[in-house]
Amino acid sequence: MVTLYPEKLLSIITNDSMEERIVGMFKKYGVSGYTIFRVGGAGSSGLETDMTGFDANILAKVIVPEERLGVLLDSIERKLRKGYHLTVYISDVQVITPEKFNQHLE
Amino acid sequence: MSISNLLLPAVLFFALGFLARVIRSDLRFPPDLAKVLSIYLLMAIGLHGGYELAKVDLVVALNSIMWALILGFSLPVIGYIALVATRKVNPMDAAAISAHYGSVSAGTFLTAIAYLDNINVSYETYPLIMLAVMESPAIIVGLILAARARQSLARESTVVSSGETAAIAADAGVNGGGAGFLALLRDAFTNGSVVILVGSMVIGAISTPSGMEKLFPFINDIFMGVLCLFLFEMGMVASRRISDFRKVGWVLGMFGIVMPLVGGVIGVYVGSNILGFSVGGATLVAVLGASASYIAVPPAMRLAVPEANPSFYLTLSLGITFPFNVIVGIPLYHTMAQALAG
Repeated sequence: MVTLYPEKLLSIITNDSMEERIVGMFKKYGVSGYTIFRVGGAGSSGLETDMTGFDANILAKVIVPEERLGVLLDSIERKLRKGYHLTVYISDVQVITPEKFNQHLE
Repeated sequence: MSISNLLLPAVLFFALGFLARVIRSDLRFPPDLAKVLSIYLLMAIGLHGGYELAKVDLVVALNSIMWALILGFSLPVIGYIALVATRKVNPMDAAAISAHYGSVSAGTFLTAIAYLDNINVSYETYPLIMLAVMESPAIIVGLILAARARQSLARESTVVSSGETAAIAADAGVNGGGAGFLALLRDAFTNGSVVILVGSMVIGAISTPSGMEKLFPFINDIFMGVLCLFLFEMGMVASRRISDFRKVGWVLGMFGIVMPLVGGVIGVYVGSNILGFSVGGATLVAVLGASASYIAVPPAMRLAVPEANPSFYLTLSLGITFPFNVIVGIPLYHTMAQALAG
């Protein structure tokens, strides 16, 4: 029987022009790794068609231990206050290799 | 200005793309195709222009660059004043929108070249140099206008002292939208289109003529076909964008038509009377004045003026101004250039 360990999954949907900043934030606050998808959709910034690459969105996902989530959320809140359009949600996930998510990127 | 001017394959493909969305066709181009096509188009036009650069008069070239800078810096200010006067948009949106109108659309410029080629009107190489120069200055003006608006917003909300909003505005005012001004300046001048266009011009200028001739099938023969493909997709994009028109409203929608006309009139005057270009050259300068960016400026505004609503500037630039220029604007600017030439 495999043991499962609880972690937090942070998901951020934003415009692809924000990618560098989001990745910068992940590195600065010591995440172990991240995954980015190109996505389309519509919301507060209007239609993001992802038809042309002129207006694509990204969905960035990162798994972090709960104690490291706080600094990331503070940084996200600062971005939101400045007016950046970010859709952020956190979910509970279970992993089988918790040591993987305790490492720091770079 | 006859209907036959519109019967250009490139313009007809634009119409077809538009129609395909209207009739809800399932037609979809692969993702990023428009990006690939615009890389090709900028590269081809840059190489072509660079090859012709040997014939260029340095004094006229420098004069064109100066006027390109003047247009790039002044058009957004005109747009901003007009937008704020309508009282339909907040100053942040006005700053972001007007930055788009000071910058240029290479797609519109290339359509104008196709139009002039079709009616056998020759044109100078200088407007191409101006195209490269005019990509960036408007971004800087947009940032400055947004920074000013942010400060006055911060002041206002301190007066009414509405707690949270005041803190947010003050925070934003101090940090200038959260992005370092120098970093944004660097972004403005190193953005992809500028690098491709200027780089290709340099390569075209310094390559051996025999080497360049081998490239002619790539930069000349297939050029119009690629432009058709590009405009085909842009027609679909415009059609999709214009469905956001309700959000934009009539007043802003009118701005998307009036502003290119104002820019076109200024451009045609600069091209014809100040720079002394031919009818073809003056038409191209008018197109530079009239067109609104949709590649370089939107990502810059998203980062630097996050408070502005992207659906406003994208709908205006892609959904209204681009189709207007392609279908009505270009023949009109050509007619104006003819009238000015006497």
